[in-house]
Parts: sequence; C-alpha cells; structure tokens
Amino acid sequence: MDIFNSQWLLSMLEKSSKTPQGRILSLFDILSDWLAVPEIQVNLSLNLNTNSQLVDFFTQQATALGASNPSILAEHIVLIARNAVHHEMGQPGGGSLLHAKKAANALILAQTQKEWGWLDNIRIKSQVYGIAASIFLLAGLSLVWLPPLLQKNQPPLLVNLLNNDLAKASIATVNPSNSKLSASDAVTMYAKYEQMRNGTCQFPEALQIPDKDKAIYLENVVGGKLPTNLSDLAIANIYLEKVRCNYTPMLMANSTS
Amino acid sequence: MTQLREKILVTASNLFQTQGINSTGVDKIVAVAGTTKMTLYKYFTSKENLILEVLEKGHHDFQAWLSEKLNSNTKKPSEKLQNLFEFIEEWVTSPNFRGMGFIKASAEFPNEESPVHQLSSAQSQQFRQYISSLASEANIQDADGLALQLSLLFEGAVQAEQMKRGSGAMKYAKKAAKILIDGAIQA
Repeated sequence: MDIFNSQWLLSMLEKSSKTPQGRILSLFDILSDWLAVPEIQVNLSLNLNTNSQLVDFFTQQATALGASNPSILAEHIVLIARNAVHHEMGQPGGGSLLHAKKAANALILAQTQKEWGWLDNIRIKSQVYGIAASIFLLAGLSLVWLPPLLQKNQPPLLVNLLNNDLAKASIATVNPSNSKLSASDAVTMYAKYEQMRNGTCQFPEALQIPDKDKAIYLENVVGGKLPTNLSDLAIANIYLEKVRCNYTPMLMANSTS
Repeated sequence: MTQLREKILVTASNLFQTQGINSTGVDKIVAVAGTTKMTLYKYFTSKENLILEVLEKGHHDFQAWLSEKLNSNTKKPSEKLQNLFEFIEEWVTSPNFRGMGFIKASAEFPNEESPVHQLSSAQSQQFRQYISSLASEANIQDADGLALQLSLLFEGAVQAEQMKRGSGAMKYAKKAAKILIDGAIQA
C-alpha cells in the first residue's frame, strides 16, 4: 500500500505535534524513520491524485496556520515529500528528507509571512524616525547646555574678548586651534556620529593617514569623540568624508537583485 | 534532420505532454503527423527510442532557454541564482507550458531498469547539478544541499501545475526559493 495513503501515517501525524506547522513538518521525520526500517517495502502509487486524505489533513493544518492558499500548500508539500522519498530511495543517506523539510518550511513561510514587505517598511521608517528624533533631541540639548558650557570653559583670553567690544573685530583672526566649537558645530558632528552608528561603515586604514592627523582621525572619526577645537573639527571632517557607510537594512540588502 | 523526422518528433512531444506517454500509441502519432508506421520506425526504430529522443530534445531546449535567459540578464552568480525561479515561473505560466518531460516520464516509467526512467533520472540530476553550479559560483557553502531543496521545490511546483493548470504553486515556490537562497547566502 502507498505509504501516503495509509491511516498509520495520518495517525502518526495527528499525534506528532501540538502545532499545525509541527504536524506538517513531522511528515518528513516520520518518512525518514520509516525508510530507515530494514527490509521496508516501499510502494508508491503512480497516481498523484490518490493522496486525498493526506492532502485534506494538510489543508486543515495550513488553514489553521493562516496560509494564503491552504490547498496548494498542502498539495505541494505532499509532492515534495513523495519526490524526496523517491530521491532517498535512489541515493540512500543523501539527506533528501531533511532538505525536503527545509524546502517545505520555506514554503510555509512563503504562504504565511505575507506581511514582510510591510514590516520592512515599518522597520525602515522607525529607523529613520529614530535618527531624526535623536538629531532633534541632541539639537535641543545642545542649545540648552552647550552655550553656558562653552562660555564656562573658554580661556580667559576668549572670555575677555567676548566681553570686550573693542576686541570683537579681532575674533576672526583667532587661531582656530584655540577656537571652541559652536553649538551648531557640535550638533552637526553628533548627527554625523549618530548616522554612522545606524549603518555599516568602512573607515580608511589608519596606516594611510598622515601621522599629524592620525590621533584626530582615531579619536574624532573612528572613536566618535567630539573634537575640542575648530582645527581638529576641520581635519575630522576631511576624514569623515572618506568613511563609506551602507545604511540599507540587512534584509533589504539581501533582497536586492 | 529531415522535415518529416522533425514533424514526428514535435507531434510525439505534444501528444506525450498532453495525453501522457503510455496512453499515446504509435498509431496516433503517425495519424496526427500524417505519416506511416514504417516511416516512424525508419527514423526512430522503436517507440522507446522516440520517447528518449523527445526527452533529450525537450530537456536540451529547456536548459538552453534557461541558460540564455540567466546569462543575458546578469553576470553576477548570486543574481543568477535569485533570477532562476523568476524565469522558471515565466516558463510555467506561459500558454505553451505542457509540463516537464523528465518529471512526467519518471512518473510513467517507475521501473528503474527502464531506459526512459534512467534518462529522466539523469536529466533531473543534471538540472540539480546546474543549480548546484550556480550556487557554487555564488559562494554558497552547501551548494548541493541548496540545489536539492530548490529542485524539490521546482519539481513539486511543476507537478502541481501539471495536475491543476494555474494553481499558483510556482508563485509560492518562487517566494520559498528566495527565502532558502537568502538564508544560504547569509550562512
């Protein structure tokens, strides 16, 4: 008798798992065990339409799973199992039923995870919103905290200059290595760091960086630490331009053809 | 190849695909082709040889079509692998689709001693090896394993489509194949 038409197989499947997916996938384990029995008489019907009880049982399980097209899923899985049994008979020990189980599992996913594209959009949108929210939060905090901090930490010379109308004209000539970052500079840098954290970035090799810039590169570009003065900021920005980042989510990157 | 020989081959191929191999007699083939049994046996010597030639031609035509499609679209092995089921779906859903010769022949000639069964098994294996070579080129570790998974998906979907035209089985097989390929690429 064709194993796929047997009541024994149906009763084994019914008690094999508590979940519909488990009951479908255990078909491959049951068949694998069955084929491993010594002196087994394998007899498969040539007529593919005769496995109606098994297909009906799987259609019920597929419906319970919420499959898009339960009857097609059921028929396809039974066909995969039959072909795998044929293949296993031709090449015993080839793992055909294990690979067939993987194929069947992918088929179940294909029919039940129909919202993937929608979920991806949500995931991408939430990442974008997250980055935007972080930038706005940093901008807000910087506006509140940085001006007093900058003023507090400014060297006496600069404080005096800021407080002295006469000295205002000479600010432009101050050495950038002594100039502090503005709140806007800090916000811009924090936004760049935050953006890089959300991607997969390739940094230029430190060996290629001139020695005079290496410390700034390692600390302010690779390390993500805010430069302390405008001179360092300018150098850090040069190397930030050379960092190549990929912001495509992994799932999308793999799906692009 | 003479025109008459070609005509017999095409006629037999169409009849085998639409009415089955065993249920198509030589009488019917010569009647539809407008020739005689003597001419048929002159070119093919036996019905079995005719079946073998039909299978050879069908498989060669399919492989040539698929390779041409895959190679003309991209040179990247991973993309070829991803495109595989795209083109197979195109073929299965085309109005001219009559089924896959080696899948039908394998079912109709289950006896392993039969030359028809042996040829259809060899063609099934060739197709699996073709997928495996695409997977190897795409640097997939278990290329043979993935090829077996994809060929089981493919053969099952073609059988489902042969049983019920427009079943949509290939559409889901394509999605499942993508899940398997993505998983294998990431592994």
